[in-house]
Amino acid sequence: MAVSALAIHEALADVVGHEQCLVAAPDLAAHAVDGMVPAAVVRPGSIEEVSRVVARCAAERLAVGPRGAGTSLALGNPPRRLDVVRELSRLGAVREYVPEDMVATVEAGATLAALAAHFGPHRQMLTLDPPGGGARSVGGVLATHASGPLRFRYGTGRDLLLGARFVQADGTLTWGGAKVVKSVTGYDVPKLLVGSLGTLGVLVEATLRLQPIPPASRSWRLGFPSREAAAAFLAALLDSPLQPDRAALLDAAALRRTGLTVDPIALLLSIGSAADAVEHQGQALGRLAGEHGGRSEPLADTAWAGLGEALDGPIVLRAAGEPRRLLDWVGEAQAAATRAGAEAAVVAQPGHGVLQVAVREGPDAGRLARDLVRPLRQALEAEGGSLVVERAPVELKRECDVWGYIELETLAIMKRLKSEFDPDGLLNPGRFVGGL
Amino acid sequence: MALGPQILRALEDIVGPAGLVVSLEGRLTYECDMHTFYKGAPDAVTLPESAEQVAAIVRLCRRERVPIVPRGSGTGLIGGAMAPEGGVMVAMTRMTRILELDFPNRCATVQPGLINLWLSQATRDRGYFFAPDPSSQMVSSIGGNAATNAGGPHCLKYGITVNHILGLEVVTGAGELVRLGGKAHERPGYDLTGVMVGSEGTLGLVTGVIVRLTHLPEGVKTILASFPTIEDASETVSAIIRAGIVPAALEMLDEVVIRAIEEGIGAGYPKGAGAVLLIELDGPTAEIEAQSGPIEAICREHLALEIRVAQSEAERALLWKGRKEAAGVFGRLTPNWLLQDAVVPRSKLPQIMKEVAAIGARHRLVIANVFHAGDGNLHPLICYDDRVPGELERAKQANEELLGACLRLGGSVTGEHGVGLDKRASLPMQFADADLGFMARLRRVFDPDSIMNPGKLLPSHPACGEGFRPAARPLPAGTWI
Repeated sequence: MAVSALAIHEALADVVGHEQCLVAAPDLAAHAVDGMVPAAVVRPGSIEEVSRVVARCAAERLAVGPRGAGTSLALGNPPRRLDVVRELSRLGAVREYVPEDMVATVEAGATLAALAAHFGPHRQMLTLDPPGGGARSVGGVLATHASGPLRFRYGTGRDLLLGARFVQADGTLTWGGAKVVKSVTGYDVPKLLVGSLGTLGVLVEATLRLQPIPPASRSWRLGFPSREAAAAFLAALLDSPLQPDRAALLDAAALRRTGLTVDPIALLLSIGSAADAVEHQGQALGRLAGEHGGRSEPLADTAWAGLGEALDGPIVLRAAGEPRRLLDWVGEAQAAATRAGAEAAVVAQPGHGVLQVAVREGPDAGRLARDLVRPLRQALEAEGGSLVVERAPVELKRECDVWGYIELETLAIMKRLKSEFDPDGLLNPGRFVGGL
Repeated sequence: MALGPQILRALEDIVGPAGLVVSLEGRLTYECDMHTFYKGAPDAVTLPESAEQVAAIVRLCRRERVPIVPRGSGTGLIGGAMAPEGGVMVAMTRMTRILELDFPNRCATVQPGLINLWLSQATRDRGYFFAPDPSSQMVSSIGGNAATNAGGPHCLKYGITVNHILGLEVVTGAGELVRLGGKAHERPGYDLTGVMVGSEGTLGLVTGVIVRLTHLPEGVKTILASFPTIEDASETVSAIIRAGIVPAALEMLDEVVIRAIEEGIGAGYPKGAGAVLLIELDGPTAEIEAQSGPIEAICREHLALEIRVAQSEAERALLWKGRKEAAGVFGRLTPNWLLQDAVVPRSKLPQIMKEVAAIGARHRLVIANVFHAGDGNLHPLICYDDRVPGELERAKQANEELLGACLRLGGSVTGEHGVGLDKRASLPMQFADADLGFMARLRRVFDPDSIMNPGKLLPSHPACGEGFRPAARPLPAGTWI
């Protein structure tokens, strides 16, 4: 580290004020990342302050870790350096919102729950709903490319982020994209920021596409006696003109954790549309489930918010493979967890081939890495998929890279991007793919 | 620049004699895209048959510092697929195959030269289609759609091209052959696929595409509503969106366009109306029925003269034929025109349409309008006659004022056509120096030697503007907007 903790504090307090620059040991310990304790925590109160904080850190060659609501800091390899944690929780304003445009420009620290409360009275919503995500900041959700059941109809942050204001590594405030729903002017810079874990720039303001809240909505829980039955149903559903808006797939352990009726496998589906269409499609869903040995029961809308319970715990793996193989991967994940002696629950995204495996009780990191992470990852990667260790104690992260393999030529391009936009490696260094 | 014999021989070694065009008359075929205002023939045209050949061409050109211009079907509207500095054009017209239809994964793997519509035709019987539907879809290529991040009427509901691309095989300007994304919907690392889409061939060449296939909707309903004035129609659009209804498509045609279409191809649009809205709903039948009532009510509240629902697939196709071939009939109205593609926030539609009319009146020019009203993507066609002294200048002035008005309302320079040569000088109206600087650096990461489609997409390249003479007819008949 180039400068003393005291000097860091003085430099940053100069920008944000002393009360927004934390240096007391307990505060710093509370903001540690993978056990690495920063020398200061800074909480800028405006976009301009973020820009000045980042510029000041760049001038002092200080490594800056991002923090939104602080709920997803587990994602990433252990930091290579961490001098300053820059928290954006004070940036929570909705800066522009014209309901008729179905577009809103919001600050990165705004939580999903706060935004839902803001747009709801206009019968509109931001369709990002990662499990347990109400308290998450929109900037964090975008930076981690988090998604939830609504992805089934509306996609992810990649599809919803129209424009982005961000701070480059040297503090330069920069804008990319547009504030209208359709634009191809210049490169699609916002795409570069989604899922980049704050390693290319600091997202401070997002312009997002909103959707109307459907006039009627109902949810169902479709239970199946086996993975095979659920797979056949899912294939038939995806090959039909039915249009659910939310979808999640849970195994028995996940159902148990969320307090739902337990079956070997269940799909949670909701349909949002005109009331008549909801009824029609609901009946069609029930019939289709019946044809595949499933049974349908109504599900309370509140059940969706409970998905976070299933994924609660110290270790979460995120696997992605070909969508048609989803149920096979659920089985592979369960089997690998059993071999590793771990108690695991699986929550998956039907139609997208993505599954999260939450491990609660388990053996030591070495065995988890050997019997669960590595074999499952190897199998997925062999078919063009991936396995990311989304949350884990640092011991497990040291056993296996968090992100897995990336083709060398592709990684070379990513490294060039990083060295172009953060040549000194100060933005969240070490945490992203390939140690970027 | 002329290419030396060694380079030509090396190119021929890569693509074979049948894959290389060097004759003057052959090269002139490739001197412009559908924006014939901008002309520049390449020194050689290559017609590769594989990604490996494309990679070999790029490596050769990089070594020799020769510009590369990618080209799909050449139906772009921005002066993108032409060679202002000469060099080697890489046209994808021999890479047109569907490599795989994978219905269980709801995706297809195709070569970049595949015509957009062919994919929907090949998947329709199985209940699927490729959602991006630029009006040029019967001739434009999927690689070109990816390069320009093409839109189309139905992107109001289904999203633009980038929302339908899962993976790309790309040769970067640095000569790397890489596979980005894939059938799995997530992959760790930066979203290079997302950055590549819409980069107009300035970062690399797309040699393969994995696209999403979308299930056909259960039902479709196409409604044509005519209005006394374009303001009434604009207010109707805003009211529909305000009511929380997102139709599959929501298109507007003004009086001038209606007249031209009826005289040209006769789509059955009501003559004499001030504006027509073409509204399409698709999805579950019950949902369509529930939405069409309120839409018709909104139309009536805004003084609709007539509301007509297409009663058959033939009638529906005819209504769309009028829209999709609209630009092709403009030759009936005016010898020349300038075309805009700016976007405004959709709530500003009534306001911008008033401004368009005022700008036209001020410059004594007819401005015709046919556009994607639902997402605020305007296509004003500024009509002029270059035989009348001063008209071109007035048209250019009107064009600038219109763009300025859109951007003042919070809009964007281009909604779906792209930047190319045509709009790059306008980018500073939307982006600050820091924003453009970021994009220029992004470009360098992929194209360290500045050989990929030089002079396009970003402003202030040395090749700016000089040397391009206006052609007699800026947009030929058979243009799609």
